Amino acid sequence: MSTSSTLNPRRATSEEVAKTIKRGGANWKPIAFQALLLILLSVSLLILIVLLADILVSAWPTFRDRGLSFITDGLSLNPETAGVWTAIVGSVIIAVVVAVLAFPVGIGAAIYLEEYAPNNSITRFVDTTVRNLAGVPSIVYGLLGLALFVPLVNIIGFGGATSGKNVVAAGITMAALVLPIVIITSAEAIRAVPNAIREAGYGVGATKWEVVKNHVMPVALPGVLTGTVLTLARAFGETAPLLVIGVATGFFAPAGDASFYDTLTGPYTALPVVVFSWTRQTQAEFAETLAPAAIVVLLVVLFILNGLAIWMRNRSDRKW
Amino acid sequence: MTDRIETHLGTTEEGQMAQEQANTSTTASDVAATSAEDSDAVRTSGGDPDDLNPVIIELENVNVYYDDFHAVSDVSLPIREREITAFIGPSGCGKSTVLRCLNRMNDLIESARVEGGVNYHGVDLYGPNIDPVEVRRRIGMVFQKPNPFPKSIYDNVAFGPKIAGYKGNMDDLVEQSLDRAALWDEVKDKLDESAYALSGGQQQRLCIARAIATSPDVVLMDEPASALDPIATLRIEELMYELKAEYTIIIVTHNMQQAGRVSDRTAFFSVDIQDDGERTGRLVEFSETATLFTTPEKQETEDYITGRFG
Amino acid sequence: MTHHEIEPRHHFDDELDEIRASLVDLGTMVLANIRWAGEVVVENRLDEVDAVVEADAPINEKYQELEEKVFHILALQQPVASDLRFLVVASRILYEMERSGDLAVNIVNSLERIHGIPADTTLQSSLDRLSAASATMFARGIEAIATMDPEIGLHAEAEDEETDNLTSDLFTAVTARQDELGLEASVALFYMGRFFERIADHGVNIAQNITFAVTAQFPEDY
Repeated sequence: MSTSSTLNPRRATSEEVAKTIKRGGANWKPIAFQALLLILLSVSLLILIVLLADILVSAWPTFRDRGLSFITDGLSLNPETAGVWTAIVGSVIIAVVVAVLAFPVGIGAAIYLEEYAPNNSITRFVDTTVRNLAGVPSIVYGLLGLALFVPLVNIIGFGGATSGKNVVAAGITMAALVLPIVIITSAEAIRAVPNAIREAGYGVGATKWEVVKNHVMPVALPGVLTGTVLTLARAFGETAPLLVIGVATGFFAPAGDASFYDTLTGPYTALPVVVFSWTRQTQAEFAETLAPAAIVVLLVVLFILNGLAIWMRNRSDRKW
Repeated sequence: MTDRIETHLGTTEEGQMAQEQANTSTTASDVAATSAEDSDAVRTSGGDPDDLNPVIIELENVNVYYDDFHAVSDVSLPIREREITAFIGPSGCGKSTVLRCLNRMNDLIESARVEGGVNYHGVDLYGPNIDPVEVRRRIGMVFQKPNPFPKSIYDNVAFGPKIAGYKGNMDDLVEQSLDRAALWDEVKDKLDESAYALSGGQQQRLCIARAIATSPDVVLMDEPASALDPIATLRIEELMYELKAEYTIIIVTHNMQQAGRVSDRTAFFSVDIQDDGERTGRLVEFSETATLFTTPEKQETEDYITGRFG
Repeated sequence: MTHHEIEPRHHFDDELDEIRASLVDLGTMVLANIRWAGEVVVENRLDEVDAVVEADAPINEKYQELEEKVFHILALQQPVASDLRFLVVASRILYEMERSGDLAVNIVNSLERIHGIPADTTLQSSLDRLSAASATMFARGIEAIATMDPEIGLHAEAEDEETDNLTSDLFTAVTARQDELGLEASVALFYMGRFFERIADHGVNIAQNITFAVTAQFPEDY
């Protein structure tokens, strides 16, 4: 009604409307930005592909000449007969120890932090500390393992011939290494559970434990599993802490009829360590074809692990 | 089935005994005269206070704090059995906070502190040795957004009784609860399907079925229809009206027409904003809904319900 | 320049004000017709009877228009408390006004049926005073709407006693002359008296309804 209004003085004609809402030409800014992003993605993918291709090409002769025996053979000073079996065994045992130790402890700690801990300065301090621990260089965990877990392993009777510098200590050290990550990823998954579900549980007279067990954890499980299994991959790839706790970087021959106890307590090695040590061997074949082949094996094992993680998540994540 | 009926009877008897206590304590506070009680007595047609349903929950000078923040100040009102009591008021007036005091849902917020008495069948819910878990079984709750568990329809209803150690026939109980929530016919062929496959309105009725499966005598509803379309809303309202025969219902609603349609009594809360910006809710007026919506006693109520608030 | 502020329900308030103003307008139209009918009767202006009857048509039109408006507001705005009381009362007042307009028509129609009032000063002055008192009471009703003053309704019934007395006076005068007036004229005069009295009652009802709209309570003599 007000004649002085500048907001909506009169009805616009359709030409005027067309002029304002039709675009003159192509708007190049968003297109350029999109192109830039695509280029960045291509560069990172390209680097990865080149790397993979290089390794596969280098590794090819080994698999062509040796076939499966490269996998099933143990360590050897002779490039003709050297294989990764001992390393696979070491890595898998480490992974199992990590799974047995770090997962329950980490998930339990996450549940406590998210569901039970009072929201006070101590909890916040613990939370911050866990986050900081996740960023501590892995070599430091190696030193911790040497100072703490090697003696501990001796005390609990797994010292064996290596006086504790064995796969058990390595596994415990790796568990300590991934523990903060397990806690953080699990806590995130638990935090992501809608509060409405908790309220619903309390609303029908459930105790805190019943709410956590019956409602929070089933919903959080896919996220928890994904996070924790991915930490296994981390444990698989780490080298530095193992070097500190006396992983064998040279040749050793486990007795063919070694008992499981001997395997646990004897000298050990792991896949990334083998890659590392082979690149430093004097014979050229070790660095040129065997190390890349070991890398391929490591990658395949990692793929299998990740695949397992996805499969487990999909299985537990029944869509309700 | 027989089991269940017996438990029901048991509860009622206990309830009546506690009720007698409650009545005596109410008389004492009547002398102290909560204004709401007085106006009830004056206004109820027939004028005989004995015609009123007995009080099941009596709030006495309830104050709620979150740390130092005074969220609700000095609320006193009686909730009567088998009636629908509505809490209305502007945002931040503490109506939901008061509702959540009634089944100790506020316990879940660490910083929350409740002072004053919330007497349920004459027993102070904030007294010593009260188990909040048991309280929530007897005073069920339905939330603003339908929040079924991510489980099957059957498990949603059965969970509460199961953890409460229900010994009777679970299938019967689930059917009975769903039937009372007017959902049975719609879901009887898909009890094993996800609760999330239901429509919003059905999900909310499932939540009502879940709430009544633990045989509560009071059901709290926190804006139960605010996320639903008008038809689903009217269904919920109709359901509340039917449930009133067996349960005491307290509903928080932003929708004044809804309060007018479903409730017997309405409590109007308002909010005081202090100089430091702190917002404290308080009870302004509590009376029969018909009275409150036609001839409110306080100008503040009139301004709010006629839409001239603020 | 003043800044634009949104008051809650400003638009609704305007609508209610409009209804109130329209009620006063309609009341004024009806009042004019009541007064006209009174003059026509007292001065035996038989030639104006048809004009009075015709003047009721716009009243009925406006009545229907307002009734519809109130009905729509009730349906669309879902008023409560004082708003609800005012609108319900507005609907009743509309009825009272429409009836009063019809009564004015009935009065002139009765006059026409007996071809004018017999030349009798007692009767004429009695009718004169009654019609004036009746119009005054109706005007009190309109005043109540215009001012929304609940006091008017509280005293209206007492004020209306004058109309009742004047009606009794008329009845006494007619009864004393029934032989010379004849049956038809007597009955018509009785009716006219009754109609004027009813109009005054409608005025009282209007004022009392306003009292209810404002205070939520009817006067005790309602």
